[in-house]
Amino acid sequence: MRDANRKTIASPGFGLGLRTVHYPDYVAAPQRVDWLEIISENYMVPGGRPLAMLDRIRADYPVVMHGVSLSIGSDEPLDGRYLAELKALAERIEPLWVSDHLCWTGINAHNTHDLLPLPYDAPALACVVDNIARVQDHLGRRILIENPSSYVTFRSSDRTEWEFLAEMAERADCLLLLDVNNIYVSARNHGFDPIDYLAGLPAHRIQQVHLAGHSDMGDYVIDTHDHDVCDAVWDLYARAIRTFGPLATMIERDDDIPPLADVIAELDRARSVADAALREPVVAHG
Amino acid sequence: MAEALRDVQALFLAGVIRGEAEAERLIVDDNRVGATRRLDIYRNNYRANVTGILADHYERLHLYLGEEQFARLAGAFVDAQPSMVRNLRYYGGGFADYLARHFPEDGELEELARLDWALRDAFDAPDAEPLDADAVGALGDAWIAAPLTLVPSAQFVAASFNIAAIWNALEAEEVPPEAERRDQAETILVWRQGGSPQFRTLGADEAAALGLIAEGCSFTVLSEHMLERLGEAAAMQALGGWLGGWLAEGTVMLAGQAEAGSEVT
Repeated sequence: MRDANRKTIASPGFGLGLRTVHYPDYVAAPQRVDWLEIISENYMVPGGRPLAMLDRIRADYPVVMHGVSLSIGSDEPLDGRYLAELKALAERIEPLWVSDHLCWTGINAHNTHDLLPLPYDAPALACVVDNIARVQDHLGRRILIENPSSYVTFRSSDRTEWEFLAEMAERADCLLLLDVNNIYVSARNHGFDPIDYLAGLPAHRIQQVHLAGHSDMGDYVIDTHDHDVCDAVWDLYARAIRTFGPLATMIERDDDIPPLADVIAELDRARSVADAALREPVVAHG
Repeated sequence: MAEALRDVQALFLAGVIRGEAEAERLIVDDNRVGATRRLDIYRNNYRANVTGILADHYERLHLYLGEEQFARLAGAFVDAQPSMVRNLRYYGGGFADYLARHFPEDGELEELARLDWALRDAFDAPDAEPLDADAVGALGDAWIAAPLTLVPSAQFVAASFNIAAIWNALEAEEVPPEAERRDQAETILVWRQGGSPQFRTLGADEAAALGLIAEGCSFTVLSEHMLERLGEAAAMQALGGWLGGWLAEGTVMLAGQAEAGSEVT
């Protein structure tokens, strides 16, 4: 369970990723959703409907900001203009927190717009820790870093992803966004035990959980966010809640997005899985 | 000595966006999936992301060309101009120029692309306070001497082809007309009204009038130009009609106003 050193704020409950197809539902009536996560870049625009809708929905829901373009792992200076826009958006909507991914998206001015994997070694750790410190100084708050789904292992990696994350979080004094589906996807792709992964993380720094679906390609699994959460991920989520205690949890759906009522029904499952997990005794690792 | 992270990333990036095989030496090979297929997942993700956003930005061009043709042209553009923007929203602004250079015989492609991009820009352009009838009423007679400008979402798209008709047919899910080059190029005005991007084709005189407003002239100065261009009776009639339209559509505002909306730059 959480220790006395915890760096996180109390869980605000169960949330969803805000998607444009669901705007009318949020405007029309209160929804059984405790908070909403926005993709920051979708609102880092000058004006128009995106910001107008965000302001309107923000009046009724706490919001967290989740970015995909910080590129915290690129071995080059951070993008100052991007940081300024991120800060301006944070000042506008006053989110509960701001997050991005343990990844890099490009280098030398080129951008893949994808969450590229890092080597898990000392130079990459130094780069990431340094960049997180700069971002946190700029934003004036701790940020959350999410574990990625990955498909390759660098030859230069000399530690596990969870060891990398744990040391990163301590050295940079940041928080973690635990994507349970990404753990499952990467465990399948790389052949590690997801229980070892959970056991290796610093409980007092985990602020949020992502749940999502993926595509099973047989030999490997791709993190596509276009399916319901699978049973194995629900089991792993229950394990995470038993291990870490109550965590702000949300469903991420980015493609083949069902009606809001269906996504809320899936979120209700998260509520009941978490409820049940919290009533069970804490499981010792091993 | 180990390679610097920056060099590792440059090589990996080349493996993803240019498909260079050397990047595979950076990653662990295995019997089950293999280094090539593992890197291919990133190659495919990259291509799907950037061509997918082009299909979103150029929605009507996508419909006009069909899936296969669009994918071919978008893929060639992605190879020629990999993304150098931070926010995916802004990738692909050079697609119309690319089409103009590579498909000069199919000029409607470039123009459709420009219209799609202008509508995309209008969608999230800075907010503004356009003049409407109430605002003009409140300003009284003084307003005719005030410098005017177009709202930030407004822009002109030059059309040598019947792209407005093609665009509208595609929007209505009808078979578009054959592309036809006009004897005289037309001007299409794109802007945002009530949160939604709009466009309409301007007559030459109204295009000239709005061009003057875009340069910051007042209604008085505009009237002088139009009197000279059209003669008194025609100018008065035209100006009255246009003004009613501009106030109703929200295309014109007082010059020098701070942007009303966003703090985001």
